[in-house]
Amino acid sequence: MRKLLRSRRGVTPVLGSLLMTVIAVAGMSIAITATYVITDGLHDNMGERLIVEDVWFAPDQVSMYLRNVGKVSIEVAAVYVNRTDQSFTPLELEQNKHGWLTVDYGWSVDSAYEIKVVTRRGTIVVDYYMSPS
Amino acid sequence: MLWTITCRRLRRDRRGISNVIVVALSLVIIVAIASNIVFWNYEMTQLDWEKMKESVTITKVENVTSGSQFTFQNNGGLTVHLVSLWIINSANHQHYDINVFVNSAETKTYPRNDINLPTGNYTVKVVTERGNTAVYSGS
Repeated sequence: MRKLLRSRRGVTPVLGSLLMTVIAVAGMSIAITATYVITDGLHDNMGERLIVEDVWFAPDQVSMYLRNVGKVSIEVAAVYVNRTDQSFTPLELEQNKHGWLTVDYGWSVDSAYEIKVVTRRGTIVVDYYMSPS
Repeated sequence: MLWTITCRRLRRDRRGISNVIVVALSLVIIVAIASNIVFWNYEMTQLDWEKMKESVTITKVENVTSGSQFTFQNNGGLTVHLVSLWIINSANHQHYDINVFVNSAETKTYPRNDINLPTGNYTVKVVTERGNTAVYSGS
């Protein structure tokens, strides 16, 4: 027993194996985390669905009622009216939630407007809407 | 004899094992990523397919003794969940949250005591949970 305790032979291979195990586990953890991050981003991109329920041309502003019909929450990043970037009230919608998105815009009567809503993940919803006469 | 020696050598030879382990682990990761994406994509395609199969119409909108009554008809093959009702005229766009299920090939009346139809031209719109819309114009 005393001889065994004093003997240092074989310590280096044990330490080496231990270190290699730690490095392998760390490497796998990084790989699994990277996998999760990549697939999670793709999931979110593929799971976004957004509809415009209603567009209301009120005096000097255009309001859109949006509904999130996808599998992930959405955040509106940009709104374009006739391909011009507009300032808007920030809107974030959880799954199955809905709400008004208001844009200050001086519109003309009886005209067609191309309104484009872009989410933070890049989903685009675009359509033409006629202003009332 | 030669066969036995070769087998013994192969068993003792550790060269190339790490390569095999790396390839196996990489394959596991790649398969995990691919299957994850494929299953999610399948789910979303299913969602879009169901949305395309949906077909709902508003057949009648009428004033009743108290409030108004709406009649919805489901012409599609899937049960429809109506979640949003709009009464729109030139002065106002009024939104109501609703919770109405209409089975396939069913016609359902939906009375609302708290909704009075506006005078003049108006539009009634319903929105399904999957994101489809049905519109009715009345006056």
